[in-house]
Amino acid sequence: MTAVVRSELLKIRTTRGWWAYLVVLVALVGIGAAAEVGSRSLDERSGLDFQYALVDLIGISSLLAIILGITIVTTEFRHGTITPTLLATPGRERVLAGKAIAGVLIAILFAAMAIIVVLVVASIYTSIDGGQLELADGEVVKRGATNVLGVVLWLLMGLAIGSVVHSQVAALVGTLVWLFLVETLLVGLFSLLDIDAVQEYLPFRALDGADGTGGDNLLSYGPALAVTLGWIAVLGAAGAVRTSRRDIT
Amino acid sequence: MIEVEGLSKRFGKTQAVAGLSFRVEPGTITGFLGPNGAGKSTTLRSVLGLVHPDAGSATVLGVPYRRLDRPLHRVGAVLEASEVHPGRSGRNHLRVQAAAAGLPASRVDEVLALVELSAAAKRRVKGYSLGMRQRLGLATALLGDPEVLVLDEPANGLDPAGIRWLRDLLRSLAAEGRTVLVSSHVLSEVAQTVDRVVIIHRGRLIQQAAISEVLAGAQGATRVRTPEAERLRELLKAQGVTVSDTEDGALLVSVPPERVGELTAANGIVLHELVVERATLEEVFLELTGGETTE
Repeated sequence: MTAVVRSELLKIRTTRGWWAYLVVLVALVGIGAAAEVGSRSLDERSGLDFQYALVDLIGISSLLAIILGITIVTTEFRHGTITPTLLATPGRERVLAGKAIAGVLIAILFAAMAIIVVLVVASIYTSIDGGQLELADGEVVKRGATNVLGVVLWLLMGLAIGSVVHSQVAALVGTLVWLFLVETLLVGLFSLLDIDAVQEYLPFRALDGADGTGGDNLLSYGPALAVTLGWIAVLGAAGAVRTSRRDIT
Repeated sequence: MIEVEGLSKRFGKTQAVAGLSFRVEPGTITGFLGPNGAGKSTTLRSVLGLVHPDAGSATVLGVPYRRLDRPLHRVGAVLEASEVHPGRSGRNHLRVQAAAAGLPASRVDEVLALVELSAAAKRRVKGYSLGMRQRLGLATALLGDPEVLVLDEPANGLDPAGIRWLRDLLRSLAAEGRTVLVSSHVLSEVAQTVDRVVIIHRGRLIQQAAISEVLAGAQGATRVRTPEAERLRELLKAQGVTVSDTEDGALLVSVPPERVGELTAANGIVLHELVVERATLEEVFLELTGGETTE
């Protein structure tokens, strides 16, 4: 399995897209951190709200994580590299498992980079203003950890989607349309039908609740995590069956 | 070594392979021949565990490909030259495969040198010619130093020098005791290289035999050149022999040269040329597949 994971990590690192992910990540998180610091007075900056807001910037990596998750699987079908991949590792579930492990490692790397960028930008900005960045609270660390787990979940969701929908364009466009349009429409529909509670179980509403940052009309953290893992498991299982049965022609 | 038994596969309305059985003997180069669409790629992909057959089985080294332990060390395959990420360099493509097979990066540089691609190794595959992609494919197949090689149309996109290079490479690989199964729809490419042929058409086996047998079994002709062509033609026709003209004015006759010689001697006809024309693999192939073109 180590060999499969090493090969998958190498695949991710050896295309130009990889650098684009890192540049976009650093830029977005950096801008986010600067805006967060700049919009608060010195007094506000010692509050827990501010510190939470800072670590919540880790969540910016989520969208990149889901796109990468989808791409990790679908790029193999787009470029036909699935053939050499399966010649090296004929067990298709093993290939998907290798991709999942590599994906988790990359998601953690994304989150770690986001944390570093936030800390660097925020401490520099704060010291210019003559203050000092405080992040000593254990609650903040816990909040950061749930954020990191959230990025991992977004990546795994993408990977599960990609293993079901092998067409890269369909998977990416479908996911974005579902995320930004379909779920919103469904939420409206449920509210018309007076069954508001159902919306909390939609995949991306659950995922939203599972990053630990809270929000209106979301499940609380524990149930949201469970529902998200359920969606990932169902999609992942469907993807494993679909990928195993497919003829690679 | 490679054993295909009653293999059938249908894609939608197309029966790609229909009850195909053949064996590839160890230590030989076997040509897997058939017109485009004969089911060659589907068969090879079934052998490699990429396509699920509807019926029948395909094994390599005695087991289905999926059950091979460390498959890249046992079987090397080149299927389509385009199955490489265009944004990745040739060397990185090989590194990805080497990592999956647990092979060191030094092996990558060895196979790059073997296929004479070292100079272009760090360039993106996007900029490779088809011939370079074929070489990269061969390098991928050779990574694990496998005892069996399965090559699908490896000569596509190679220039004449490249085809000669491929031929020499295949010969030296077979000389090392490896088993090679190489498919082609262009017969002249393989005729000089292979020991045995498996000929398929519309998903069915037409013939599997040593190439010498295939050629020996084919009907030859006798080529005759004489200043008295018309007289000889009449004499032969009178005996019920089929005669046709060649482009350069000679006669092509469907009987052995002995009979032509006896007939001309008895009638005092001068001969300028009397040669046995061997059927080429191309002609045999056209005959066996009912005259469908190979291109």
